[in-house]
Amino acid sequence: MNIIETKNLTKAYGDFTAVSSLNLHIRKGSVYGFLGPNGAGKSTTMKMFLGLTRPTDGAFHINKKRFPQNRVEILKEIGSFIEAPAFYGNLTGAENLELIRKILGLQEDSVDDALELTGLQEFKNRLAKRYSLGMKQRLGLAGALIGRPPILFLDEPTNGLDPVGIHEIRTLIKSLPKKYECTVLVSSHLLPEIELMADDIGILNHGHLLFEGSLDDLKFHAHDMGMPDDNLEETFLAMIDADNQKRRDRR
Amino acid sequence: MRFGMELKKLRRTGYFPAFPAGAAAASAFPILNMAVRTEVYTGLPGNPLDILLDASWQMMAMLNILLIVCCTCMMYHTEYAENGIQKMEVLPVRQISLFLRKFLITTAMAALVIMIEFAALAFCILMWFPDAGIDLKEFLCHWSFEVILLLPTIMVSLIIASACRNMWISLGIGVILVFTFSVLPKDYLFLDLCPYCSPYQLLTAAEENGHAALFLGVCIGETALAGMAEHIYLKIRRYFS
Repeated sequence: MNIIETKNLTKAYGDFTAVSSLNLHIRKGSVYGFLGPNGAGKSTTMKMFLGLTRPTDGAFHINKKRFPQNRVEILKEIGSFIEAPAFYGNLTGAENLELIRKILGLQEDSVDDALELTGLQEFKNRLAKRYSLGMKQRLGLAGALIGRPPILFLDEPTNGLDPVGIHEIRTLIKSLPKKYECTVLVSSHLLPEIELMADDIGILNHGHLLFEGSLDDLKFHAHDMGMPDDNLEETFLAMIDADNQKRRDRR
Repeated sequence: MRFGMELKKLRRTGYFPAFPAGAAAASAFPILNMAVRTEVYTGLPGNPLDILLDASWQMMAMLNILLIVCCTCMMYHTEYAENGIQKMEVLPVRQISLFLRKFLITTAMAALVIMIEFAALAFCILMWFPDAGIDLKEFLCHWSFEVILLLPTIMVSLIIASACRNMWISLGIGVILVFTFSVLPKDYLFLDLCPYCSPYQLLTAAEENGHAALFLGVCIGETALAGMAEHIYLKIRRYFS
């Protein structure tokens, strides 16, 4: 069963189309890896899901709820981390999470739970603006994970983390569907990371969805198209290159 | 609960100390003015409160407006500095209600500032017009009139601050508006009714001209209209972001 579906979802800024007729299908309880080069439209798609930007055309539903009619209900079920950690630098880590907890009406122990999950417990009373880049990233993740929401949108969640941090976050994301029946939409430039944690992937280039399916499906698809299928990185690069070549030929 | 949340966001920003500091600066003006030119004012006929307001309110009102501009910029700088506002936008909370809570907090702080300033005026009356006495009802009328006349300025300053990610842009716009409106001719009623201009008006003068009710009605109307404009702006900006 798909928890998120889009139908011809489009976002244009004047002449530039950031996302073009996107049809995504994200299964409930899966980790969906969203891949694409910079400017492919990954963040714009996530922003549309969160109501940060309005689609120019098309529609989507999240857990049977539609935007913008059920905006507040949808946002209650989503934890998100978009582009960069968003927080109040003048507040401590714990105070930042306390704000979110109160808005979501969660239990008091959910702040400690989120701090524990992201390894920030011992720094919870430090002002967020004094955090290191990695700690800010973890605070952003804690803000998304607080209350263990059924749906998570994570845009480049491992940016700025050290290898140990990357491993911890990857393990955490991978464990979420089984532990909490959580559905995760995660974008990353680190293709081996996606390969290790995603059940399904979607590859986006210039706003167009080039491929959607499981990693095995991608291997078959790449093999059929005569592209390398040894690892995700090579397949991804070949697919993007072929699409860019097609665009150049069309011009 | 959410009101308290907005207050919490302003911790360690300098927002709360700025108001008493601004109030102290504005309150010092009539006291110094009276101390330096005692004979000029004690010799004038009429109500001491009117004499003091005529002598000092223009400067005090300008300081109040500048304080509002600075504090609304600080308020939204806190939101934009580390992108906290984006986190709020992806939580199940209406953006307009966050904005209105900011408006209420700033209005409460501005009301407190004007109260401190009127306390300074009361001190001046007791000090230099000992026979006059303090009429609390009169003070309350003047205080509430000035608070209401400041509402459109607070609302417009908040709208400007909410629209600019860069605090220096909103601060620059605010300062330009303050000084532009302060040099406009005073002969036109419609100019006196504009935000950034209405806080200079005095209750006694407005009553003499029969404009007191007009000022109050227009300022409340302007505030409501500007609030609705912000609501529309918050909705349509999603199409362009």
